[in-house]
Amino acid sequence: MEAATATQGTRRTGKKSDRARSERKLAWMLCAPAVIAMLIVTGYPIGYAFYLSLQKFDLRFPDDKEFVGFQNYADVLTSSTWWSDVAVTAIITVISVSIELVLGMAIALVMHRAIFGRGPVRAAILVPYGIVTVVAAFAWRYAFDPASGFMQGLPLISDTAAPLTNQTGSLIVIILAEVWKTTPFMALLLLAGLALVPDELHEAAKVDGAKAWQRFTRITLPLMRPAILVALLFRTLDAFRIFDNVFIIQPGGALGTETVSILGYNVLINRVNLGLGSAISILIFLCVILIAMFFVKVLGTSTAQQRGEV
Amino acid sequence: MRRGSRGIRTGLTAAAVAGLAVLAGCGVGGGEGGSGRTAINFYAFNEPGGSYDKAVENCNKEANGRYRISYVKLPTDANQQRELVVRRLAAEDDDIDIIGMDVIWTAEFAAAEWILPWEGEDEQAATEGKLAGPRKTVEFEDKVWGLPFTSNTQLLWYRKNEVGNVPDNITWDKLIDDAAQKPTGIEVQAAQYEGLTVLVNSLIASAGGQIVTEAGDVKVDATATRAAEILSKLGTSKAAPPGMATNKEDEARIGFEEERSFYEINYPFIYPSAEAVGKEFQDSIGWARYPRTEADQPSKPPLGGINLGISKYSETPDLAFEAAKCMASEEHQAIAAELGGLPPTTEAVYETKKVQDAYPFADLLRESIDEAAPRPVTPAYSDISLAIQKTFHPPDGLSPGSIESKLKDRIERAGEGKIY
Amino acid sequence: MDGQHSARERVMWLIGILVVIFYALIPVVWIASLSLKKPDQVGDRKFFSGFSFDNYDVIFSDDTFLAALINSLGIAAIATLISIVLAAMAAYALSRLEFAGKAVILSGALAVAMFPPISIVGSLFDMWRSIGLYDTWLGLIIPYMTFTLPLAIYTLSAFFREIPWELEQAAQVDGATPFQAFRKVIVPLAAPGVFTASILVFIFAWNDFIFANTLTSTDAARTVPAALAFFTGASQFEQPIGAVAAAAVVVTVPIIIMVLIFQRRIVAGLTAGAVKG
Repeated sequence: MEAATATQGTRRTGKKSDRARSERKLAWMLCAPAVIAMLIVTGYPIGYAFYLSLQKFDLRFPDDKEFVGFQNYADVLTSSTWWSDVAVTAIITVISVSIELVLGMAIALVMHRAIFGRGPVRAAILVPYGIVTVVAAFAWRYAFDPASGFMQGLPLISDTAAPLTNQTGSLIVIILAEVWKTTPFMALLLLAGLALVPDELHEAAKVDGAKAWQRFTRITLPLMRPAILVALLFRTLDAFRIFDNVFIIQPGGALGTETVSILGYNVLINRVNLGLGSAISILIFLCVILIAMFFVKVLGTSTAQQRGEV
Repeated sequence: MRRGSRGIRTGLTAAAVAGLAVLAGCGVGGGEGGSGRTAINFYAFNEPGGSYDKAVENCNKEANGRYRISYVKLPTDANQQRELVVRRLAAEDDDIDIIGMDVIWTAEFAAAEWILPWEGEDEQAATEGKLAGPRKTVEFEDKVWGLPFTSNTQLLWYRKNEVGNVPDNITWDKLIDDAAQKPTGIEVQAAQYEGLTVLVNSLIASAGGQIVTEAGDVKVDATATRAAEILSKLGTSKAAPPGMATNKEDEARIGFEEERSFYEINYPFIYPSAEAVGKEFQDSIGWARYPRTEADQPSKPPLGGINLGISKYSETPDLAFEAAKCMASEEHQAIAAELGGLPPTTEAVYETKKVQDAYPFADLLRESIDEAAPRPVTPAYSDISLAIQKTFHPPDGLSPGSIESKLKDRIERAGEGKIY
Repeated sequence: MDGQHSARERVMWLIGILVVIFYALIPVVWIASLSLKKPDQVGDRKFFSGFSFDNYDVIFSDDTFLAALINSLGIAAIATLISIVLAAMAAYALSRLEFAGKAVILSGALAVAMFPPISIVGSLFDMWRSIGLYDTWLGLIIPYMTFTLPLAIYTLSAFFREIPWELEQAAQVDGATPFQAFRKVIVPLAAPGVFTASILVFIFAWNDFIFANTLTSTDAARTVPAALAFFTGASQFEQPIGAVAAAAVVVTVPIIIMVLIFQRRIVAGLTAGAVKG
């Protein structure tokens, strides 16, 4: 009897490891096309970009192509233009993400706790999400146009201080456009985190006499920390790569609104200087990695929730 | 489970492969114009008066089937036009035959070997009877690279009934003082774009200076400081129109038409546009030559225009040369003046009735174009222009003392293909 | 429930909701009003001062815009299709099967999604112009994978994790063939997730500007966002505000309608993709 059970046990274990192996194989085969596709569309171009960045390669002088090592990088990193562009990008990123966090949280709270009208609110905030970024950017640009924008007619904005004619004003409009467009996404990310905070904790705290604000800061926020960090990570990386809004609102990055992506575009596409432009591209890529590492290692952001492991 | 999922997998993979095969076939090859042995594709900005359309139509009729020109219209913005054309030429696209080149593209395209030189008979056709200004814009390294078609320059426009008569030799300083006193604005194009380079170039050239020689040597000197002084003076005076730092040609026109400024520096297109405002308004407009930077030196007005270049990647260059010569004929230049407000490049055309009728200021126009100063003729022009734009913007934030060294440094870096 | 909320509370919530709605709709309303203005009304800074469809006539008679619409539709649709197909297979594996490397794939997908597009447009431009994919549909669809695939994988895995896969086995025990079980049990359960993921991916692809701008140069492949930036005006120097606004509205209205109809699904998809459950 024992022997029989033992053999049965072995047989069962044998089947399990067989199944595990075939499951693994199947899983990898199913994932392979997607994985390969992602590797190809990013891995190869980035590798090629790195290769190009080591050359002096200008499409207007195609015969002058030559290997110059890291000279392009030296040139970029010693130019004041690159650093001021990094500063502009950083300013836009930090300010817009901060505003989005606050606004997004407010909207998430409205959606979570509204006693009526959740439907219309949900529908309304999806409009910025669904709209094409370029379309919204045009709307904002025309709204602040010195000649024809409706913002010009408002009492707060004087005739001579048209925002789009100076750097500060332009940056404000760009940040406004960026915040408007992506706060809904932030709100939804935060809403998901909000939903995880158990109501019982709030009830218990209410019974203990805690006010709404106290409950928010002592219960909700700490429990939402992982969700907030993830939302911040996504949005910061997104904001750092800003392109569409700047391109439309101040074409070419004029008036000191040039961000690093616009700089890359100007060098790569306008000046068709592929060598220099590729160096800029790689540097931007490194910046993005740095930001991601900062969030993950220093702030402890974990995408485990997203990956379904929590 | 295994069988079912394998079934799905195969099905889905098959669908994906089929899909890819389909779209590999469709959408490949981006030809917009015609194709075939007789198709000539003409890429140029959309001339709204219809004169380019007319030229194309006439030439197609004359060609009698030997070739057929298709007019492919590019966007309004000069920067965007260049972007699109450069991208296709860099991609060695054979779809372009004739390019309506902005005058500033010649050196860049020639050095990059994207256009064919005009030699022998063609060279003669390209330069005979042409005004000096346009002729300079097609010459590079002792060769001719395009056929001047239409030209353009800027005049000083003013309201006779408001500010009286303005002499042809007025200086910028006097002009700004007069306007500030009234007070009224002087409409200029000082946004951070090519129009600013146009302005700065003329300010410098009128003082006898140069920015870059044809050989590529940087020749920035005190004339750059002078230009910055004038621009800064205007930008900080009462004569600066609102939004000056973002105004382009159209905003300037609108400012003049809305009477917030009684002076305007702009291209002649504003004259027919004024008619739409009212005959009285149009009649009240006076014109003078582009203002002087220095009182004792005649001004060098800006020079714009379109030259016809032949793409190196054209499959039918001989036909393209022929078609281009037909399009830029004297008759078509006269039509361009009449319908499009575009001044001719051939001197004789200024005497024709059409042009004299279209422009009461025809003689001033011819003189301005003849004595105009082209922008720097160098392959790195677009970089240098960007460097100039960056240095001279915004007009009310300039420090003229440091301009000369800043500009020199930026242009040198731009010329070397570095970041500036 | 209602009795517990005072009138004051209700008014506060109403104000809050109205503020949110106002915030969301202001630019849309503005661009719509611009599109209905005549050229000489453009400068009057008012909302809805005009009501003419001239601008719409202009853009619809323009081949360029129609071509751009077709390009946008086709490219976004095909990119969505390919992404969903590839992602569905991967999501199935990720949510249903056990294997080492799940975390790697998901993290990898996240990394790909965070990629700065500008970093690869240079290489793509050079590669495409050598291979001949420049200015083609395929030339855009391939880079689109950088953001459509990760989004699809994440959304679909989140949805698939919720599917009770045991039902399939139960059906088989009841006598259905594997294929029948799949068709009648799994497909209906998975369909909403696939549908929602498709909508999200489509919106994303429809929205792209940087790739469309740099990797196209003619009607053959230029999509609407890129075309908007290259509109021609009435004169050499004029800003085509009216035409751009009309085109913007044409591009936006279908998306808004779609978003309104499917709002529940979209919200579910976005929040499911963000957090498990």
